[in-house]
Amino acid sequence: MGGGLIGCATAWRLAREGAKVTVLDSGDFGMGASGQNAGSLHFQLERRFLENGDALAEQATRTAALNRLAISDWSSLEADLATNLHITMNGGLMVAETAEECALLELKIARENAEGLRTRMIDGHEARQIAPYLSEAICAAGYSPDEGHADARLVTHAIAIAADKTGALLRPRCRVQSIRRVCREYVVRTAAEQFAASQILIACGAWTAHVAAMLNLHVPLFPVGLLMNATERVAQVVPHLVQHVGRRLSMKQTHSGNLLIGGGWPSRMALDAEGRFTLYRPPAVIEASLRGNLRVAIDVAPMVATINLVRSWTGITAISADQLPIVGEIPAMPGCWVAGGGSAFTLGPTFARLIAQSMSGTKCEELEIVAPSRFAHLNSFMGQ
Amino acid sequence: MTDHYDVAIVGGGPAGQAAALTLDDLKLKTVVIDEQPQAGGQILRQPPQSFRIPGWMEDRTYAPLVELLRRFEARTSIHWIGSHSVIGLRREPDGLFALTICSPDGLRSITAARVLIAAGCQDLAVPLPGWTLPGVYSAGGMQALLKAQRIVPGEQIVLAGTHPLQLLIAAQLVEAGGGVAAVLFSQPHGTMLKAGIRNSLRAFDRLSTAFPAVRALATLRKHGVKVLYNAPIQAICGTDRVAAVQHSGGEIACDAVGLCYGFVSQSSLPRMMSAKMRRAGPAGGWATLCDEWMQSSIQGLYVAGETTGVAGANAALASGNIAGFGIGAELGAISRDEAARRVARHRANRRSLLRFARLLDEIADPRPFFPALRDDTLVCRCEDVAFAQIGPVLDGRSANAVKLVTRCGMGLCQGRNCEPTLLRLLDNPNDPGFTARFPARPVPISDLAT
Repeated sequence: MGGGLIGCATAWRLAREGAKVTVLDSGDFGMGASGQNAGSLHFQLERRFLENGDALAEQATRTAALNRLAISDWSSLEADLATNLHITMNGGLMVAETAEECALLELKIARENAEGLRTRMIDGHEARQIAPYLSEAICAAGYSPDEGHADARLVTHAIAIAADKTGALLRPRCRVQSIRRVCREYVVRTAAEQFAASQILIACGAWTAHVAAMLNLHVPLFPVGLLMNATERVAQVVPHLVQHVGRRLSMKQTHSGNLLIGGGWPSRMALDAEGRFTLYRPPAVIEASLRGNLRVAIDVAPMVATINLVRSWTGITAISADQLPIVGEIPAMPGCWVAGGGSAFTLGPTFARLIAQSMSGTKCEELEIVAPSRFAHLNSFMGQ
Repeated sequence: MTDHYDVAIVGGGPAGQAAALTLDDLKLKTVVIDEQPQAGGQILRQPPQSFRIPGWMEDRTYAPLVELLRRFEARTSIHWIGSHSVIGLRREPDGLFALTICSPDGLRSITAARVLIAAGCQDLAVPLPGWTLPGVYSAGGMQALLKAQRIVPGEQIVLAGTHPLQLLIAAQLVEAGGGVAAVLFSQPHGTMLKAGIRNSLRAFDRLSTAFPAVRALATLRKHGVKVLYNAPIQAICGTDRVAAVQHSGGEIACDAVGLCYGFVSQSSLPRMMSAKMRRAGPAGGWATLCDEWMQSSIQGLYVAGETTGVAGANAALASGNIAGFGIGAELGAISRDEAARRVARHRANRRSLLRFARLLDEIADPRPFFPALRDDTLVCRCEDVAFAQIGPVLDGRSANAVKLVTRCGMGLCQGRNCEPTLLRLLDNPNDPGFTARFPARPVPISDLAT
């Protein structure tokens, strides 16, 4: 369930191994966060893990093994699919402007190196040699040679085509109405059809918790409305992924020439008639987010100032109760798998490969750090 | 510093002017924002103040609109913000509307208790082979050049399409000294005549509105301009600019082409607010739904003029009056009963004008006559997306999904031009079209950054 990157890629992997797979989505495939995100391939420890204390940073560092796998998965994806997804891995810079931010970078890089990631600290001068568009105010950067970006518009679309060719049954615009567990099987019903499956995967992004509720299960994923910005197309100037260690920024340039500027700035989620967050209307742009986001972009790369903004878009992703993704089998419900909760573009192909492998019976230790079992207590009184 | 108003009106055409005058009469603090330096809208697009054009808009058809414009311009208590685009509209948590408006001099924000959107319409963009060659215009674009700048964009102009307005534009072009090679109607003369007769009873009270077309025909006859029927244009030819048009009956040499298939409402701001919309007339596009006081589905957000469906300047004027009284009553500046009495004649007037607009819609219906697209015909000219790229993904998916994988609609115009074509190709009456996004017009990043 969920025709996003993880759902389609898992189906593709499983179908290639001969499994009989169906993918259902209430809308078109790849139209949620998989297609709405800006396509960063980020392998440095994310800024969001650094701003909430050491414990979280420590825990997040342990996901570095997944990052290493993701680097290799993205490196081979275009060849595996035999299609151009505009994947570039020209390196990424996480910049710092103050002494405090430089100190944070050093700590971060030490953690990453201990986990075997190839990040290194460079000074402002070297950063500007690599990336001449950077401002004089940049005093240091964490440089990862593997980082880059892919065209989020195309990735899920291409994987869905591959899944279809390998024999997976794709059902866009088929909303799941109910899921029942009958003996050792799951019966998934849509308006027109019914599917029996020995295993199911719920990978519905922000909708995951809704779908899991059909099985009387809690999945502690919370919807988050984010803001992204696209400029008009300009000549290629930014071949890297640019992030900031102390301020919210991610910036890259698409194959078509647009600069995509984001970095985790909030948008305002819409409320339904009962005053609850709704996932069925786009979040609204918060002016302060927009202005703040663009300010960081100009401070980091001054040439951005004169370029026209053509579109600010908001999209909904999901974040887990402890900020780490939730990927794996639900302990209370054997055969029911779940995947979601942040970094799911960068880590998506890897999650999909590992889920497919696990579903086929080979246990994956790499997924232990993100396993749903850490929230098993929430389902003590749930399930059936 | 944010300026606050009781009412902000987007659009200084007849609807915006009429509403502003009504609201000002009711002593409500009103601002009118328009992309043009001066009021008038497209119908009375004014030349720059330093120009003197003898006989500008002297035709008696325009008289009531010119009179309205003069009254509006004389009313100094209405705040006028010209040369500004409203690029964002949102509702703040305190219930006020916030408008982000931009100009070459930068950005400003205003707030208002009520907003009226009377943003007019634009020509329906119709892709056909050769339509992106230099020298191809929308007919409305040609008319804007003529009205505001006295520019005649060619010496051998061909107008082509299905909308009778092309007769008026052709007549205005020849009267201004331009050369018109031909006016090509896609539909047979009989079709137009039949639709006219079939509807003559319900539009009987407004048949005089059709007289300008009859006068235009006489003008064209006098100047020896060919008017061909049953001559759908198929392609525009030329290497680096327009050289000829091909129609079903042959080829006509020309140096400029004006395409005239009808008009679609500007809808980006109401859609940004998630107001309820409906598929507009045969030309396509989106009309904003509204109640009898011109209030949209969003409380406090009003719409008037072509925003509610293309019906012409006089209907816009009537709806502007209705919206003005509706807003006035909601803000307590006039009792609802008194407002109802005052709008009665405007409502009656609007009803009969809408009947005439439907007649015109039927006569001008472009749907059977859209030119066939070739594989290399660009559907989205901002992003260079050709028909061949779109065809393979027309598999039942939504317009947004096609946009995502093809980039159709991702460019500078935000899909204003290609959306009607894409929706036509998708042929799904329930598709809500592209999600409207900020900003409605491109804006330099330095203007937006804190």
